[in-house]
Amino acid sequence: MLLPRHILQEFDAALDSLRADVLMMASLTDRNLQNAMRCLLDRDANMCAVTIADEEEIDALEKKVDADGINILLRYQPVASDLRQVISAMKVSSNLERIADQAVKIAERARTLAMGPGLDDAIALGPMFVETITLFRDSVRAYADADVALARTLRPRDREIDEMNRHIARDLTGSMSKNPDGIEDYLHLLFIARYLERVGDHAKNIGEDAVYAAEAEDIRHLKNAFTV
Amino acid sequence: MRGDQHTWRKIKSGAASTASSVAALVVVAPLALVFYHLVVSGIGSINWAFFTNLPKPVGEVGGGMVNAIVGSGELLGLAALIGVPVGVLGGVYLAEYGGARTNSLLRFVADVLNGVPSIIWGVVVYGLVVLRFKSFSALAGGLALGLMMIPLIMRTTEEVLLLVPGGYREAALALGISRWKTIVHIVMKTALKGIVTGILLALARVAGETAPLLFTAFGNRFWNHNLHEPIAALPLQIFTYAISPYDDWHRQAWAGALVLVTMIFVLNALVRFLTRDRAVRIL
Amino acid sequence: MINPASLPNTTMDSAPRISQSRIPEPPETLLPQAAPAFKVKQLSLWYGEKQAIKNVTIDIPEKMVTAIIGPSGCGKSTFLRCLNRMHELVPRTRIEGEVLFDGENLYGPGVDPTIIRRRIGMIFQKSNPFPTMSIADNVLVGLRLNGVRKRQILNERLEKSLRMSALWDEVKDDLGKPGMSLSGGQQQRLCIARAIAVEPEVVLMDEPASALDPLATMKIEELIRELCVDYTIIIVTHNMQQAGRCSDRTAFFFMGQLIEFDQTERLFSNPKEKKTEDYITGRFG
Repeated sequence: MLLPRHILQEFDAALDSLRADVLMMASLTDRNLQNAMRCLLDRDANMCAVTIADEEEIDALEKKVDADGINILLRYQPVASDLRQVISAMKVSSNLERIADQAVKIAERARTLAMGPGLDDAIALGPMFVETITLFRDSVRAYADADVALARTLRPRDREIDEMNRHIARDLTGSMSKNPDGIEDYLHLLFIARYLERVGDHAKNIGEDAVYAAEAEDIRHLKNAFTV
Repeated sequence: MRGDQHTWRKIKSGAASTASSVAALVVVAPLALVFYHLVVSGIGSINWAFFTNLPKPVGEVGGGMVNAIVGSGELLGLAALIGVPVGVLGGVYLAEYGGARTNSLLRFVADVLNGVPSIIWGVVVYGLVVLRFKSFSALAGGLALGLMMIPLIMRTTEEVLLLVPGGYREAALALGISRWKTIVHIVMKTALKGIVTGILLALARVAGETAPLLFTAFGNRFWNHNLHEPIAALPLQIFTYAISPYDDWHRQAWAGALVLVTMIFVLNALVRFLTRDRAVRIL
Repeated sequence: MINPASLPNTTMDSAPRISQSRIPEPPETLLPQAAPAFKVKQLSLWYGEKQAIKNVTIDIPEKMVTAIIGPSGCGKSTFLRCLNRMHELVPRTRIEGEVLFDGENLYGPGVDPTIIRRRIGMIFQKSNPFPTMSIADNVLVGLRLNGVRKRQILNERLEKSLRMSALWDEVKDDLGKPGMSLSGGQQQRLCIARAIAVEPEVVLMDEPASALDPLATMKIEELIRELCVDYTIIIVTHNMQQAGRCSDRTAFFFMGQLIEFDQTERLFSNPKEKKTEDYITGRFG
C-alpha cells in the first residue's frame, strides 16, 4: 500500500523508521519463539540461554518504538491513517514484547526440563507450537502488508489454539495422576502450553491492531468480528 | 590603490552634498528675500488704523484696509459654501461610487480644471453672472473662487478617502450598516482630518487670487452691504494701490501684501499643525 | 451520547458502575439531526470568467461550529462570503444556485443584503476596530447606526457583548480609550464583541486567529467554543489543528468544490475521500 510521500520528508523517514523497528522486533521475536521451541523439543539447553539473552534486545526496541512514537505524535500531530499507523505500531510492539516474554518463560522451563530425564509428552506440544508460530507469523504479515482478510482469520485460529491448550491440559493432568513422580515436569509442560496459548492471544491482538491501522475499524471484543 | 579610491569617493560625496546644499539655498533664498522685503517695506505701515479704517481718498493720511480684509473673509466664506459641499461630495463619488471609465474621465477633467489659469474662472463668471445681473457682486466673486476650489477639493478628498483601508468598509458593511452610512460615519470620519486639510489648502490657494476677482467682485472703497454689490478684497486692493502713483497708497499696498502673506502663512501652519504625527490616527 | 445518570437504577446499587463507561455511543443515525442554519443548493460563483465555486451543496447545522479547510485558492473564503453576500463588494461576480437561510433564499429577488448582514455577522482575518472610535463606541456602532438610541439598551448590550467576548474584565475601566490602543488579540475580541452586539444569529469568521500569537489564538478558540452555544459559527481556517480543536463539523474544499463534509472527529481520524486524506496528512505537493 504505497501512499504518496508526505511533503515533510522527515515525517516519512520517522514513520518508516518506526515501522522498521517494529518489524525488526517481530523478526527477533520470531527467532526467539523458534529457539524456545528447539530448546523444548530438542532439549538444547544452549538455545534456552540464547533465548533469554535475546529478550534484552527486544525490550530495548519496545522502549525505542514507544519513545519514537510519542515523538512523532508531538512533532507532526499526525491525523487519519498516519495517526493510526503510529498508534498501532506502539500497540503491536507491546504485544511483541509480551510474546518474547512468553518465549523466555518457555525457554526457562524447557531448560529445567532438559536438565532432567526426557519426557515423551513433551512431543505433544510440538503441533501446538507449530500452530502458534504460524499464527504469529501470519499476524505479523497481516500487520506488515495491511492484509485485513488475513487479519480477520486470526481469531478463530486463536480459538483453535485455546482448544489445543485445553486438550493438552487434560492429557497432562491424566498423565500426572498416573505418574505422580513426574508431577513437577508435567507442571512445567502445563505452564509451557499455557504460555503458548498466551502467545496466540497476543498474535490475535496484533491482527486486531492491523485491522485498525488499515481500516480504522476496532474489532476487539466483538463476538463475530470475522468474515470468512 | 584602495586608499586612492576611498579618497576619490569621499571627494565625490562631498561635492554632491555641497551641490545639493547650494541648490536648497537657491530655492529658499528667493522666498526669504521676498519675505524680508515685505516685512521691511510693510511693517512700517501696519498699525491700528490699517486694520480699522476704510480707505481714505488720495492725499488723506490714515486710511486702512479693513473692508478689504473683511471682504476677503466674506469671499472666502462664500467660496467655501460653494466649493466645499460640491468638492467633498464629488470626491466621495470618485472614491466610493462610479465606474472605472467615468471616474477616470472625471479625474482628468478635474486635473485640467486645476490647471486652468484663474482669470478664466473670472471671465466665465463675468459672462454668466455679472452680465446677467448687470452688476459686479460679492456673489460673483465668491462663485468664481468657489468654482476654483471644487476640483481641488474633489481630488484631495478622493485621495484621502482612498487611503482609508478597505477593511473598515468591509467591517461596517458586515455589521449591516447601509452603504451611505458606512461612507459618512466610518469612512469620512476616519478621513476627516485629511478632508479638512484639503479644504484649508484650497482656501489658502484661492485666498490670494486676484485675477478672478477683477471683474467679478470688482473691489469697493466702502463697506459692502449686500451680496449683490461689489466687494473689496485684499489682493484687489493691493493691486489697485500698487499701480497707483501715490506713495501713501504704495505703503499701504506693502502692508496689505504683508497681511495677505501672513494670512496664507497662518493657514498653512494650521494645516501642518493639524496633520502632525500622532500615535493612533490614520491621517 | 447516553447520559449514565439517566439509566435506570439496578437493584445492585452497590455493584461498581464500571461497565457504564464502556457503553458505546449509538450510531449517528439515532442522534437527533441538527436543524440546518444554511441549506446551500448547487452554489456556483464566477469572478468574471473564472469559476471560483463549483456547484456546492451543503447543509450547515445551527448552533455548532463548522470549520472550512482547504489549500489556498480553494474557494473557502469566497464561499464564506457568499453566506452573507459580502462577495458582492467585488465587482463582476456572478452567482448561481441558492442559499437558504431560515427558509428564505438569500439571493432571491428583493432581498436586502444590509438586513441579511445584521443577522449574519462577519469577523475578518485582520482585526479592524474603527480608528476614530473608543472601545465602547466600537462595540455599539452597529446598534447606533441602525437606530438604537436608548441609553439603557446600549449600556446593557455593551456589557453583555464585552462579557461574551471575554473582554469585559480587561477593558471595563477603559471603555473610553481608543479601540486601536488594545493588543492584537484584544482587538480581535473587540471586533467579535462589535459583531455580536447587533445580536446576529450566525457569526462567520474568516481566519480570525491567523494574525495572532499562540496565546491570543487560544483565547479566541476558547471564545468560539463558548459562543457556539448561542450562535451558529462558521470558521474558515488554514490551520487544521485549529479546525480539529474548535469545530464540530468540518468541510474540506478543493479547487472550488466541496470534497467532504463530516463530523470533525470522523473527518480527521478516518476521512472517506482520498483527497481529504492526502490534504490532512500533508501529502499534497
